[in-house]
Amino acid sequence: MSYSRDQVKQITDKVLNMAKADAVEVRFSGGERSATRFANSSITANLIEHDQEVAVTVYYGQKTASATTHQFDDASLVRMIEQVQELAKRKPDNPELMQPVKGPQPYVEIDAVLPATANFGPAERAAMVKISTDICEKKGVLGAGYIPKLHWTDALANSHGLFGYFRYAEASFILTCRTPDQTGSGWAGTTGVKDIANINAAQLTEVAADKGLKSRKPRAIEPGNYTVILEPRPAARFLSLVLGALNARAAEEGRSFMSGKERGSTRVGEKVFGENVTLRSEIGNPILRQTPIGQDGLAAKSVTWIEKGVVKNLFYDRYWATRQKQEATGTQPGMSLVMEGGTATVDEMIKSTKRGLLVSFFWYIRGVDNQTLLNTGMTRDGLFLIENGEIVAPVQNFRWNESPAVGFNNITMLGRPVPMHTGEAYDNPGTALVPPMKIEDFTMTSISPAV
Amino acid sequence: MQTRREFTRAVGLGTLGMGLAPSLLYARQSPAAPSPVKDPKYRNWSEEALREAKRLGCSYADIRFTQNRSNGIAVRNGQLVTTGNIGFGQFGDEDTYGFGVRVIHSGVWGFSSSPLVAPAEITRIVGMATEVAKASAMSKKFDVRLAPVKPYDTFWQTPITVDPWNVPLADKIALLVDATTRMQKNPDVMFANAAANFNYEWKVLATSEGSFIEQVSYYTACSMSATARKDGTVKTRTYNPGTQTKGYEFLTDSDLPGNAARVAAEAVEHATAKPIGSGLKDLVLMPSHSALTMHEIIAHPTELDRIVGYEANYAGTSFVTLKDLGRLKYGSKLMNVYADRTHPGGASTVGYDDDGVEAQKWDLIREGRLVGLQTNRETAHYIGETFSRGCTFANHWRNYPFLRMPNVQMEPGPQGSPTTEQMIADIKDGVLVEGQGSFSIDQQRYNGQFGGDAFWEIRNGKKTRMVTDFTYNAITTDFWANLDAVGPPETWEHHGMGGDAKGQPVQSNRPSHGSAPMLIRRVMVGAAFS
Repeated sequence: MSYSRDQVKQITDKVLNMAKADAVEVRFSGGERSATRFANSSITANLIEHDQEVAVTVYYGQKTASATTHQFDDASLVRMIEQVQELAKRKPDNPELMQPVKGPQPYVEIDAVLPATANFGPAERAAMVKISTDICEKKGVLGAGYIPKLHWTDALANSHGLFGYFRYAEASFILTCRTPDQTGSGWAGTTGVKDIANINAAQLTEVAADKGLKSRKPRAIEPGNYTVILEPRPAARFLSLVLGALNARAAEEGRSFMSGKERGSTRVGEKVFGENVTLRSEIGNPILRQTPIGQDGLAAKSVTWIEKGVVKNLFYDRYWATRQKQEATGTQPGMSLVMEGGTATVDEMIKSTKRGLLVSFFWYIRGVDNQTLLNTGMTRDGLFLIENGEIVAPVQNFRWNESPAVGFNNITMLGRPVPMHTGEAYDNPGTALVPPMKIEDFTMTSISPAV
Repeated sequence: MQTRREFTRAVGLGTLGMGLAPSLLYARQSPAAPSPVKDPKYRNWSEEALREAKRLGCSYADIRFTQNRSNGIAVRNGQLVTTGNIGFGQFGDEDTYGFGVRVIHSGVWGFSSSPLVAPAEITRIVGMATEVAKASAMSKKFDVRLAPVKPYDTFWQTPITVDPWNVPLADKIALLVDATTRMQKNPDVMFANAAANFNYEWKVLATSEGSFIEQVSYYTACSMSATARKDGTVKTRTYNPGTQTKGYEFLTDSDLPGNAARVAAEAVEHATAKPIGSGLKDLVLMPSHSALTMHEIIAHPTELDRIVGYEANYAGTSFVTLKDLGRLKYGSKLMNVYADRTHPGGASTVGYDDDGVEAQKWDLIREGRLVGLQTNRETAHYIGETFSRGCTFANHWRNYPFLRMPNVQMEPGPQGSPTTEQMIADIKDGVLVEGQGSFSIDQQRYNGQFGGDAFWEIRNGKKTRMVTDFTYNAITTDFWANLDAVGPPETWEHHGMGGDAKGQPVQSNRPSHGSAPMLIRRVMVGAAFS
């Protein structure tokens, strides 16, 4: 199932014409989510899911209601619309309700569907699994991996002339290689790839398998503060902890790390991270090729959130922007996210480290204290001790308790940014360009023999 | 005595200030889309689908039709924020309907799904699932082996008292507005939130092994919180009755308004509380808290698919190995844990799982020793069992079914076991923990760091003051070895949760755990903040 611009417009126009209200908004999403999953070097799940959904929102003054349906026949659409019209009229006024965005919006043109990726099917995925598991077998490890593909369309239309349409196809390859004695585990992967030619399953398998083999029989070392080299995956997860703090309303309401000292103030203009931390949303970035449709259908524009450690912009939703007499931010902080990198390779970072840890993966990160961005999490799938510029041994995993407010002030080296998902799972869009990074004094609080 | 209707009328009059006219309070919600319960066409469509799968050479096939409806309501400071599903991974008042087909061909699974529920599409999707399985065969190393199951032709439904879809929206809003209004009476409360979520699921499962099982389930969830600011410190206190397979009665029985003043006062107390510091302390864990601890370090590590590596790339494996069954000393002699998909109200309670296996109850840990695991048809053979424990579940018609946890519960102590007060009296230096907070655990479920929602210091046998900056660290088997008391049967409580991520693509289920209050000795506290 894929949906062309015309097909979608036909559906959204139909719903807009059917619904009677002061204003109407229609969201469309639909397409194919496919995936192949393997464990113990054999496929355990292979699937093709189809879905389509229309969500309609009707506005009567300050009243509104929404409903969705997955069936597009006339009877289903009529039932959804009648239900939502009746529901909205019964709702109390919502003083924070914003009327739909006026169209048309100047969206950046982005080509996000390459035919090879759109047609990446179960046989191609199974062939990729075979390439990977053959290498696993040769190296004597067990491969457990995931190859998701998303060929999806999102659209937003309203009765004020707005129509935004974005179709994309992307895939990922994520692999964990465990040793049969269960004492070693290694990870490698790439995510959110728009051109599947950029997925090198063999090379990623070599990395994960070698890590798994090298991480066998890790020894326990003392918790404490360590220099850490975060490869792109743990770096992306650590970066994600900053995104929630970029909300202007939470900051101005005094419940965020970005809240200023005076009630109602923020830390915009303040240097909160080190000089080498710059974070932007680059709409139209040629590698990411992510949606140009921003908040409520506003055209997303490139935004610099953090520049050389200084907070430059926070995200204003449309209601809060109006209340605070600010311009609404079309771009949500996770959109087309790019963290500026440096020129160092991970090898150079290792060579420059007297004593530290090479980290392959962060797992189960959860907030501990919202105001300080203190979080906890685990290392996983390959943790190595570095001494005098060389990896000397695999070590048992650590639980860490650290805040990016501290860590992003202690970055001493950055590498080249690569596509990496910032979320715990890999299913929805969320890939950013993230560099590997070396951070001093990272707080490891306890060890775990878990492999 | 005031009736609920009189009560909501009084509340309605009291809420005119936020624009809710009393006349609206009695407007009926529009009838939801017609439910397909006991419609004979699904039997015909199922038979056609299974016949087609057989024709294509599948050794096994099932088709699962599902309709889900959800309705979530959230109120903040007396103001309706949203109506829509506020559950895990979903949004909007959802009415979704579709089907999924699962086949085994060439010894491998294939799955496909579609929202277009019609004969031609069903045939197409059966073909697609078969093609997926055939394609997968090129890289298989072993064939899927399913434990046998009896065929069932049956109907099962969650017992409920009040159908949430028969309750006027205005009543639902009024109850939540009342709760937030009462919390806001405390002048130090900045934000008062209350939310309720109602879910309905209709499901038909037909299998090539002769089952035709129709099930209707209701899930109701609610919670509320107060956020207070005092002397520049902002803290939140939550009252979270959780999720249960019950009707609207779960919301009213949870009595959010009756707990509002307490929650508000405790939010303020939390904002002025002093840090607990760090060190080894004895902990009294209340059932509202222990539910999530049990979830993380008992329920997950005893999932057999994790143990044999199916989740190695995402949710993780387990510190439990196949050799540990019947041998591993998981905790102290007081520790008796069972799995139960039949518990009335349990969020994981069903009649039959998505393999068509009847719901059961069985032991996982008996007197501290590991005696059982969670299995399904696909994994039972790994421990030499010839039957499934019925743990297969998919959270949507769109998703493939796989092993998800049942209700995992700890038995209370026998009559006469120490009460919470008696546990406190037996502690020199400790903390009483309520509710759920920051939870993090390694991928084998061995090193956990857990927070909570509210914490009280215990000194020399007395609960003294609320404290803050509390986390504790648990190394699973050490932690349960220090289980020193479990409360009596009358203190046992069941707590259901809204979501739990597992699988790729990630799916959510509704985990659900019960226990009595428990006393754990000598636990490391406060490492996160030291």
